[in-house]
Amino acid sequence: MQVFHDYVKDGKIKLDPAKKITKPVTYQDPCNISRSGGLWEEARYLMNAMCTDFRDMAVNREYNHCCGGGGGYIPMGPEYKRRRMASGKVKAEQIRETGAEMLVVPCHNCFDQIRDLNKEYDLGIEVVHFKTIIPQVWDLPDHLKPKEEHGETG
Amino acid sequence: MPEPAIDTDFIRERLAFFKGARFKTWLDICAHCGYCADSCFFYTAHDKDPKYMPAYKIMQTLGKLYKKNGNVTREELKGIADIAYGDCTACRRCSLYCPFGIEPALMIAAVRGMCCSQGLAPPALMEAAKNHLEFGNQMAITTEDMVETCVWMEEENEEEMPGMKIPVDKEGCDTLYVLNAREVKYYPQDIAEAAMIFHAAGENWTFPSMGWDMTNLGMFAGHAKIMAHAAKLCYDAAERLGVKRIFTSE
Repeated sequence: MQVFHDYVKDGKIKLDPAKKITKPVTYQDPCNISRSGGLWEEARYLMNAMCTDFRDMAVNREYNHCCGGGGGYIPMGPEYKRRRMASGKVKAEQIRETGAEMLVVPCHNCFDQIRDLNKEYDLGIEVVHFKTIIPQVWDLPDHLKPKEEHGETG
Repeated sequence: MPEPAIDTDFIRERLAFFKGARFKTWLDICAHCGYCADSCFFYTAHDKDPKYMPAYKIMQTLGKLYKKNGNVTREELKGIADIAYGDCTACRRCSLYCPFGIEPALMIAAVRGMCCSQGLAPPALMEAAKNHLEFGNQMAITTEDMVETCVWMEEENEEEMPGMKIPVDKEGCDTLYVLNAREVKYYPQDIAEAAMIFHAAGENWTFPSMGWDMTNLGMFAGHAKIMAHAAKLCYDAAERLGVKRIFTSE
């Protein structure tokens, strides 16, 4: 996430403002990246560069709530899933309150937990990483574009 | 078959090891003020059931072990393990609210270590953690399968981004990229997405054939040897390939 932030801020990757995502999008601060890693403002810089309607959760940045799947909870397996879904209620409610249709999260653990919460609590939200969204909103130089896009054949 | 008795000598040894200034001060100084309670999502998700208060969870785990000087039965240690693994994700949010700066997550990690030493880590977590030793990653993916996945993702996306490569074990690059084993197993497109971004940014990077799993289930299970092994694999890869820095995946 730090790296993607630096790429965009330093202009190594250019984003196209016309391609910004217009639907409401929220962001999950992973404990390791925000509370323990200190990278909460970098995330918001990227979110605002990618989206027009970024909506923070009620408690955020270093005060974020854990997704509820951290500390090895997911790899503890199905035996723990009921408990993991029950305690994940706090995160599910936080997400629902934002009214967002998409959630960006730079942690694979949070990603899997929030996808489980999405089903359990019927949140109807699309869960994605930065690396999925950046290519949707970037402005690539011609030589990096797929061939058909700049008029060459085969 | 009867379950083995708890090695109480070993537990006592660990308790003595942990009883340095920090843990001793924390256990002594906790005023049971309850500020940590509302900070904990386990507590609020369970209608403020006091058993989920961080201070109470510490009392019922590390506090209990010290109180009994490690003389716990297997049943008692199972109860302790159930709290340490199942009622706390070590998210560290409660630490922000503690007026004394106590860090329950570090104490929970110490308790997990003692539980793990007596075979009481959750079995699925422990099985996956052991994969770090045998396969170098938590998902038991062979090096052959990982390299094949990279080749496949490179081929699959070459039309999307001409010239994009997933260079495995290339020496002398600036950057080593490591990721979560789940990406290789369940979300291979994640590798391609990262590779496309690196390509667009002109990053000079490589992906190691061994030491590519940045996750560490040894740490979550409380198994120090696996934890050290898993972390060392990534650093060994960085040294072997002569990179300047390691990037970890999202």
